[in-house]
Amino acid sequence: MKLNVKVRRYDPESGKPPYWATYEVPAEPMDSALSLLLHIKWHLDGTLTFRKSCAHGICGSDAMQINGENKLACSVLVQDLVKGDGDTISFAPLPGSPVIKDLVIDQTRFFEKYRAVMPWLINDTPPPERERLQSPEEHAIIEDATKCIMCGACTHSCPSTWADPDYLGPAAMLKAYRYTFDSRDAGSAQRLPIVDSKDGLWKCYTIFNCVQACPKEIDITRWLSALKRKAVTAQY
Amino acid sequence: MRTYGTNRSNALNWFLHRITGTFLIFLLITHFWVQHYDAQTATVVAQTLSSEQIEQGVLPEYSSEARAAVKAKFGPDATVTPYDVVMLRLADPVYAVLWKGFNILFLIFALHHGFYGLNNILSDYIRNDMGRLVARVLSWSLALVLLVVGLYAVITAGWTY
Repeated sequence: MKLNVKVRRYDPESGKPPYWATYEVPAEPMDSALSLLLHIKWHLDGTLTFRKSCAHGICGSDAMQINGENKLACSVLVQDLVKGDGDTISFAPLPGSPVIKDLVIDQTRFFEKYRAVMPWLINDTPPPERERLQSPEEHAIIEDATKCIMCGACTHSCPSTWADPDYLGPAAMLKAYRYTFDSRDAGSAQRLPIVDSKDGLWKCYTIFNCVQACPKEIDITRWLSALKRKAVTAQY
Repeated sequence: MRTYGTNRSNALNWFLHRITGTFLIFLLITHFWVQHYDAQTATVVAQTLSSEQIEQGVLPEYSSEARAAVKAKFGPDATVTPYDVVMLRLADPVYAVLWKGFNILFLIFALHHGFYGLNNILSDYIRNDMGRLVARVLSWSLALVLLVVGLYAVITAGWTY
């Protein structure tokens, strides 16, 4: 079938505002949305710019707004986006961050917030002879959160993040959950004050956009709620 | 790289927001039941006032039980207005303490719940830190004023009787 692929284009060097460009792209129902962009870049317009790497939903490079929803371009199929021949699919950069070019956003602040929650194991006790063990039950608590690939679909779907650029956002705070609830971690005293602040947990109004956007189907709001309870019990 | 987070915890306010929200459901139901639907104070159900009657200050007719109770307390010539019915409830010292305590709790919970929510909205829409501080001080000052006015109204109600 032939599809009309609308792409939000922007070239900062041209001095022109962003605009919608439409391309006619041949596609099969089982093609990924990413393959439509690759077809445009390889055969129609080589100047089209977007991030992609593994194309298998692992690297998290190609999160973008597809038909108005934040998705991973490699992990969504054409048949789930259109009904048939001649239909339109739109691609736009993730909302809420500055656009560098076309579908590429500036992720500087996204990764600043990621680093701010100290997303690493904090434990000053001497390591045991072999390794720090974790039981399957202890791992089950954080398993869902460990699936995060840092694609940014959640944080860029969050109205609290759109309203407040300083808000840490779901991706960073999910990492805070993942390490705070890790049985091997002892860094709650350092990590919790960062998420229990004006930039953190309390601006999560349980809107659930993050859960809907997550390509790994992580129950983000649930884990942030657990982190809120932890922050309250740590205080009182 | 800018730093995120501050040392000031907001956990208590968030927790109180949950607690007050839960309690407000029951406080509101009780308030409506006692104030508007209680058998003794309920107005005649079938009565509908026209807009002219409302403009003339006509009050809804009370149930015979409510009228009898007010006249027994305040004399046969007593008018039966919503105010009298509330006064009737407050004339009993036990009920007065109970309902005043209830309404003070209602007042504090509603103000905290409402103004915490308002502050969240303000900090979402006001981007700079100075503006946020001004909005926070102004809104909590307004809450304090409303608390004082509300406490005055609740505590002094029925003192003339």
